[in-house]
Amino acid sequence: MRRFLLRRLLHALFVVWGVVTVVFFLVRLTGDPSAFLVDQTATQAEIAHARHLLGLDRPMWVQYVEFLGSVPRGDFGTSIRDRRPAMRMVLEHFWPATAELALASLVLSTVLAVPLGVVSATHRDRAPDHLSRLGSLFLQSMPSFWLGLMLILLFAVHLGGLLPAYGAGSWRHLVLPAVTLAAAPLAQNVRLVRSGLLEVLQQDYVRTARAKGLGEGLVIYRHALRNAAIPVITVTGLSLGFMLSGAIIIETVFSWPGLGRLVVQAVPARDFPVIQAGVFVFAVIFVALNVLVDLLYTVVDPRVRLP
Amino acid sequence: MTHWTASMLCALTGLTLALAPAAVDAQARALDGVAIDPDAELVVALADDTNNMDPRIGMGSIRSNYIRQVFESLVDVDSQGKPVPGLALAWKPVGDLAWEFSLRRGVTFHDGEPFNAEVVLFNLDRMFRRNLDRWGIKDVAAGTSFEKVFPFVSRWEKVDDYTVRVHTSEPSATLWDFIGREPLVPRAWTTKHGVEALNERPIGTGPWKLVEWKRKDHMSFERWERYWGNPPLYKRMRFQTIPEAAARIAALRAGQVGLIEAVPPLDADVLKAEPKVQVSTAVQKLVCRLYLNGRPRDKYDSGGKDGLFTDARVRMAFNLAVNKEAIVRKIFNGYARVNASPVASVSFGYAPQEPYAYDPRKAKALLMEAGWKESGGGWIDRNGEPVNVSLLFPAKHYGQAFDEMTTAVVEMIKEIGVPVTVKPVDFGTQLQVLQKGTLAPNGAFTACRTSNALDADDFLRDWTAFTLINWAPYPPELLALFTASRRELDPAKRLKLLADLQRQVRDWAPVVSLYQEVKIYAATARVLRFTPIPELNMDFRGVALRK
Repeated sequence: MRRFLLRRLLHALFVVWGVVTVVFFLVRLTGDPSAFLVDQTATQAEIAHARHLLGLDRPMWVQYVEFLGSVPRGDFGTSIRDRRPAMRMVLEHFWPATAELALASLVLSTVLAVPLGVVSATHRDRAPDHLSRLGSLFLQSMPSFWLGLMLILLFAVHLGGLLPAYGAGSWRHLVLPAVTLAAAPLAQNVRLVRSGLLEVLQQDYVRTARAKGLGEGLVIYRHALRNAAIPVITVTGLSLGFMLSGAIIIETVFSWPGLGRLVVQAVPARDFPVIQAGVFVFAVIFVALNVLVDLLYTVVDPRVRLP
Repeated sequence: MTHWTASMLCALTGLTLALAPAAVDAQARALDGVAIDPDAELVVALADDTNNMDPRIGMGSIRSNYIRQVFESLVDVDSQGKPVPGLALAWKPVGDLAWEFSLRRGVTFHDGEPFNAEVVLFNLDRMFRRNLDRWGIKDVAAGTSFEKVFPFVSRWEKVDDYTVRVHTSEPSATLWDFIGREPLVPRAWTTKHGVEALNERPIGTGPWKLVEWKRKDHMSFERWERYWGNPPLYKRMRFQTIPEAAARIAALRAGQVGLIEAVPPLDADVLKAEPKVQVSTAVQKLVCRLYLNGRPRDKYDSGGKDGLFTDARVRMAFNLAVNKEAIVRKIFNGYARVNASPVASVSFGYAPQEPYAYDPRKAKALLMEAGWKESGGGWIDRNGEPVNVSLLFPAKHYGQAFDEMTTAVVEMIKEIGVPVTVKPVDFGTQLQVLQKGTLAPNGAFTACRTSNALDADDFLRDWTAFTLINWAPYPPELLALFTASRRELDPAKRLKLLADLQRQVRDWAPVVSLYQEVKIYAATARVLRFTPIPELNMDFRGVALRK
């Protein structure tokens, strides 16, 4: 286990270095942000002065060496548009806004998915199964911006302001964005639990468990579900990664001050430091979640051994 | 603008008295017989948050809305966009080569620092990048580099504690405007805490004091109780970022915000029909144009070719090919203006111009007159090459209506037989092309241009120096006329020069003038006396909330 973790840590360092390096050069290939900082009536001399103030007139390798030297200190430079430390901005948007939205959606999409998937599998081709599959299809195929706007209209406008239409700060603000963000992964998880269970329920050990006289609940939740859970864990890990790296549409519709909108707005504005800091955080999140998912496999399935 | 000065100087004292704090009591309990709530909060939904609060960094359309609540300028504007005394009580030319500003007394910044001539001198140093080391402050990449755009401003001095004189090396009719409209920051606060502090915790003299800024979410203000002028009649205000227009409208209908900006044109009439909603509009100093490459070969990365649109007749033909009235009617639902002048209709010195008639037949005739020949359903230019216009447009940057408008313009140009290849790009990519001068010889692009200045001069300088948006430089005679208009201090003569220049620019057609924006606001019935102004910001002085 220790060797595994050490190897994954080194692997993670390499991946994160690779990602930030690629992003460093890639964003610079698309041009520089000097023209954003001046009026449209600016001359070349004014643009050149802005570029000089940003230090973008230095050779690219000089900028890269300086960048690599400052990354270990968590210093990704100052945002070109906001004139604030880029990593501080990214972390301000990550915590608590993005983290709480992602975690709430994760809880909704997994906690609800298990019973719904179980009911669907244990009532195969009967009304609850049809209803569950139809609901999953509906939630998966519905565009999240539309669902979000409909929820706002229903809960904020027609139900007399039962829930806020925008913003963050309380559990009431969290409900609508979390439900909207959880809709698609919930549907996916229900289908995964259902199909996984249907397969597992045909296995010999399930028949043995039933033959031993174990109750149906015990058979399903203790024996069958653990084996059906591996694909759900894999997909949930990935979903959480995407949720933690920002949900731009949800953030836009609900005015949620999360990480997604910050980074997405930084890209067309060529705000290099914010893009780099954001991508660094995304890379760390994905690498960490991958390791976590690998570890979880060993918990739910004793047959899985870490090398 | 000396026009204003002459007439205003006498009236200023009276006007100032009218704006004095005593005129409206911030603790008033009723307005026009309606009970109001002086302790209430107004939530205003805006499409985006500002990136920074330091006015030197730039005063674009989003930033201005935030910055001008906190900071003020020497010259203020009234609800019609006309200049009125702000932190300066009066301004006047002193001889041909100086302007004098008489400052308002008794004004304090939100931290208690007094406003006086020293503050103005500090701000002038900052604007023109002088003595930054002496003040111990950093230079910032500024939207407008005053020292480069207005190099004729030579020095400034304190006449007394409340009088500042600015000297120029040549007569400058608009100095009151480009210096007067720049928001002023405190000297002591800035030198003590650095320019970064202006961004983190801005301190101004404005009617609103910033109390909280949660980026990309909201900015909260409190009424500045020691404000020198007409104060807001409610205590707190919150600028809430709601990027999605449908969500802004839903929040307004739910009563969770009191006022929203940037209502889409097609929603305006629907909201107007709702009894609990008030819709108001203001023509903006935002003009949208189709820019055509009319640069000579040595003024861009040309590959040895002049721009396809160096001939004014070709540019005029494109103006005649585009049905602007139809665009305003169909795409903007009437919430935009057709304007043939290069100057926004709400700028001082604007002279209405004869509209470009929609006349495709005449457009074709003009192309032929310019040496183009029709060939197999297309055109051959005067160099014998087949014409195909390459049009860039910044998709999703100015909004959905702008994108639809660009598509409509393309179809109209195709109607006269000119093929157009449309290249939607992100705004940054378009800026890169313009900055590097790599627009193709047959290139064109759509973009909008706004202004913080009040005078026509700011629009008319578009075709002087080579800038991001100057792709058809003035010929010598127009440049001479422009220079004369800048130096003419006699108000009547200058107005005549400006009108003449606008007429000539209209006929010379450096761009295809498409439309001028009308901004739409919607408020709940609780909001009283909100009047949109033709500037980039909203003004809440005198606004009240029904109890």
